[in-house]
Amino acid sequence: MLYPHLSDDRLIDVCLHQAAAKEQQHLASCSVCEERRANLARILTEVSDVAVAEADALFTQERLDRQRAHILQRVEQESRHGRLISFPAGQGSSPTLLRARPAARWIAGAAAAGLFIGLLAGHLTHDFTAGRVLPSRAVPPSAATFQAVSTTMSEEEFLGRLEIAVEGTGGTALRPLDDLTPLVWEVAAQ
Amino acid sequence: MGSTAALGTPAPAAPLSKDSALAGEIKALVVAGRRDAARDRFADLVALQQRRASRIAYQYLRDVHDADEAVQDAFVKVYTHIASYREDLPFEVWFTRILVNGCLDLRKARSRRLRWVLPATTSNEAAPREPVAPEASPEQKVLASERGRQIAAAVAQLPERQRDVFTLCQMGGQSAGEVSKALGLSEATVRVHLFRAIRRLRGLLERERKV
Repeated sequence: MLYPHLSDDRLIDVCLHQAAAKEQQHLASCSVCEERRANLARILTEVSDVAVAEADALFTQERLDRQRAHILQRVEQESRHGRLISFPAGQGSSPTLLRARPAARWIAGAAAAGLFIGLLAGHLTHDFTAGRVLPSRAVPPSAATFQAVSTTMSEEEFLGRLEIAVEGTGGTALRPLDDLTPLVWEVAAQ
Repeated sequence: MGSTAALGTPAPAAPLSKDSALAGEIKALVVAGRRDAARDRFADLVALQQRRASRIAYQYLRDVHDADEAVQDAFVKVYTHIASYREDLPFEVWFTRILVNGCLDLRKARSRRLRWVLPATTSNEAAPREPVAPEASPEQKVLASERGRQIAAAVAQLPERQRDVFTLCQMGGQSAGEVSKALGLSEATVRVHLFRAIRRLRGLLERERKV
């Protein structure tokens, strides 16, 4: 035996690459190292075979054909797309944008100015609060008012006024209904 | 085994691989403005690399739909950036780097998404496989075997970085130097991860065998 036994790393190197002449000589004469090498090589082959089988069982020929068709379709689409302008673009592209812009800018400016002037004029010429009844300020008919009515006017007088008001507004449509209804004071007198 | 063929970094004088030659041809066609011809040649390039790319993406993402998406995105990126392809590099290395970056981005996006979703199961292991029908493909038969399950479980137990490096070396057939370029790690780091992954796998699988 020309060498001491090969280390694990040397054996791995031998399995992954070509063995150097010295190592080959050693392996030829050392059955222990040769057995270790063969064992390692078998494991690597097995692992490789299983990994390949695993992938190939999933990537069948039909799947690969479909994949290739998709790739070529995407490549076709890529080349059909318009040229992309790199950013920042050269000076050539900016004048186009600037030329289109001024008219739009003037229109937008005029619209904004018109709106502002309109709002200002409205504020100056019209008192918005005049006709508006704010909920917080809307005073409900106070209890005092009702109190006054009830104290200064008897029930009969109130109903009589109501009747006069109905007659005054010309509720002719309600007249037949009114005729059927007994009057309060008549009932009271009876 | 793919890795035995991948010996160190490729010599500069080595003849171009078929995919590298095709990529160079596509680049020339695109630069010349012959886009239709370039797309035709690109279909050939996709056919050459597609299966390997799907295997790698699946090992990274462990989800067939995500892997499919990652492969598609990687090829589209290759086509749109083909003008920046350097013919002095093997196409496979360039493409793998694009693919791996895409897979890592998808994995990050998925983990962000899953942060807000309750896991359906607490176990990391894959769902139990269906019994194999007599007409099952050879791949399905391998996976359904007891040894196949042990190996898949052992690989799943590897830490993420070790599994990534191992995947690229074993399934991608790339050297440590190429993997270091693809992952943005130093070659020494790649070797450390690779050796640890292999030692760990050997430990797990030999223990299983003894049991």
